[in-house]
Amino acid sequence: MLGIDDPQIWIAYLLCFLSAIGCIIYGMIHWNDGGENEEGC
Amino acid sequence: MAVSTPILGIAVLIYLMVIFYLGWLGYKQTKSTEDFMVAGRKVNPLVLAVSYGATFISTSAIVGFGGYAGAFGMGVLWLVFMNIFVGIFLAFVLFGKRTRRLGVNLGAVTFPELIGRRFQSRFIQGFSGILITVFMPLYAGSVLIGGARFMETALNIDYNSAVLILAVIVAAYVITGGLIAVMYTDALQGALMFVGMGILLVLTYIKLGGVVESHQALTNMAHLVPANLAAVGHTGWTSMPVFGSPTWWTLVSTIILGVGVGVLAQPQLAVRFMTVKDTRSLNRAVLSGGPFILMMAGVAYVVGALSNVHFLATRGVISLDAAGGNIDKIIPEYISSAMPDYFVIFFLLTLLAAAMSTLSSQFHTMGTAIGHDLYREFLMKGKIGKTVTVTKLGIAVTIVMSVVLAYILPFSVIARATAIFFGLCAAAFLPMYTGALFWKRMTKEGAIASLLIGTFTSLFWLTFVHAKEASALGISKMLFGVDTILTGTWTVVDPILIATPLAFLTAIIVSLMTVPSPQEHIDLCFKNSAINEMHSNTVEL
Repeated sequence: MLGIDDPQIWIAYLLCFLSAIGCIIYGMIHWNDGGENEEGC
Repeated sequence: MAVSTPILGIAVLIYLMVIFYLGWLGYKQTKSTEDFMVAGRKVNPLVLAVSYGATFISTSAIVGFGGYAGAFGMGVLWLVFMNIFVGIFLAFVLFGKRTRRLGVNLGAVTFPELIGRRFQSRFIQGFSGILITVFMPLYAGSVLIGGARFMETALNIDYNSAVLILAVIVAAYVITGGLIAVMYTDALQGALMFVGMGILLVLTYIKLGGVVESHQALTNMAHLVPANLAAVGHTGWTSMPVFGSPTWWTLVSTIILGVGVGVLAQPQLAVRFMTVKDTRSLNRAVLSGGPFILMMAGVAYVVGALSNVHFLATRGVISLDAAGGNIDKIIPEYISSAMPDYFVIFFLLTLLAAAMSTLSSQFHTMGTAIGHDLYREFLMKGKIGKTVTVTKLGIAVTIVMSVVLAYILPFSVIARATAIFFGLCAAAFLPMYTGALFWKRMTKEGAIASLLIGTFTSLFWLTFVHAKEASALGISKMLFGVDTILTGTWTVVDPILIATPLAFLTAIIVSLMTVPSPQEHIDLCFKNSAINEMHSNTVEL
């Protein structure tokens, strides 16, 4: 896959992208969480 | 090099003027100790994320670990995954929120103070301060080496002068501006790094014929692995080393786990969480933090590995040979020989930014470790005395230590020295930091025991067992007549795998055997904790 034979490497390659995409999704879903009940801290 | 000196000079000058302007803005806004230490606790989420990322990723990652990928291949991509999943996601979502809360509740302004106050122990604060002061120069020295090696290779500046130039520039604005200056300049530097690394990736893939084609070309080079590296487990640049071989252990235990896990307990990163206004800022910062790390570390390691294809095509050698055997020179050599001149200049600014953003935070952390944690809280028992002077003096002393290390450390050292520091932080700080945030039953004695066990087991392992450091230090040889007191696989297992579990175990056992902290103190630490986030995952016994 992707010109890389060893699955231990191409899985890592793909996981890098997936985890970054995961961060984007998490940030979007929780964009407005955690602001209100914390005022005055 | 064909890079035009006047153009380069102008570019660097403009860049430095902008940085100093931001530093000056930070200086103007710095009115209180809290401003200097934690930027007044009201930093914008994007600034937080980019500043965190720019501090996290330095020339050590780009030049040092990128070079490591050039020598040992893409296995180090697992570290990128760890950097994003552990270093961003877990760090912000699990640790960040609680760190911010605890920091606010206890009025802590540094990482050692956060832990010290949580466990009501000036010893913890003072000892952590000493640990940071003594060992962080190893990491700061590595970052200096990374920047200086690039200046040496790409610009033909003498290596020793390059180290000095870099150190003086950073020192100037950290000493004056405090953390507001550090974070705003970090954000600008982060933006610059993002663009620089993006261009580097695209140019590299285009130059080498495309994504799949370049990977395939690298895969096809497996037979070119030098015999001495093949003998220790190197199998090629797109495959993992032989399971259990010395190269495998170094990659997995020192590089991937050491740095991947150690990031959670990095004082200069944890203090960032105490700078934001609310949990929402941390959630939002995750969004930009993940892709930022991907673009930094991911690009550096992929490009580092692919540099082999370039050097084979142009000079008929692998990267390690093209860099004269010095891993730390692979990336500088690749950029200056494969990239167009204008990009070499731009990339120098990128690296300068990467080095400065990390160094500034390191110096800030070391300075406050000496001035605030060690002098004010531990020695003066909280009296202010000459804290500001001692802090600035502390910054100056640690800069000198880092520069000296940058001069005396050997070749191919960046990735290793960085990993040693990260591993030490994991063993010494992670158990008590985790306990401080997640385990109300953890006691002061448990925390102190884990701090001491983690620290000294790590140092013992480095001095007497882990072959690379033990034989270089020579202490074991002097005392016992052997390079390492254990043999076989033990000598390639990183201290983090031994010291961190031991420190965790110590923390749990000693805590359960000692008297819990007073309930009022625990209530103070965890008060006003957002009901939904606290109750879901606090371990209570």
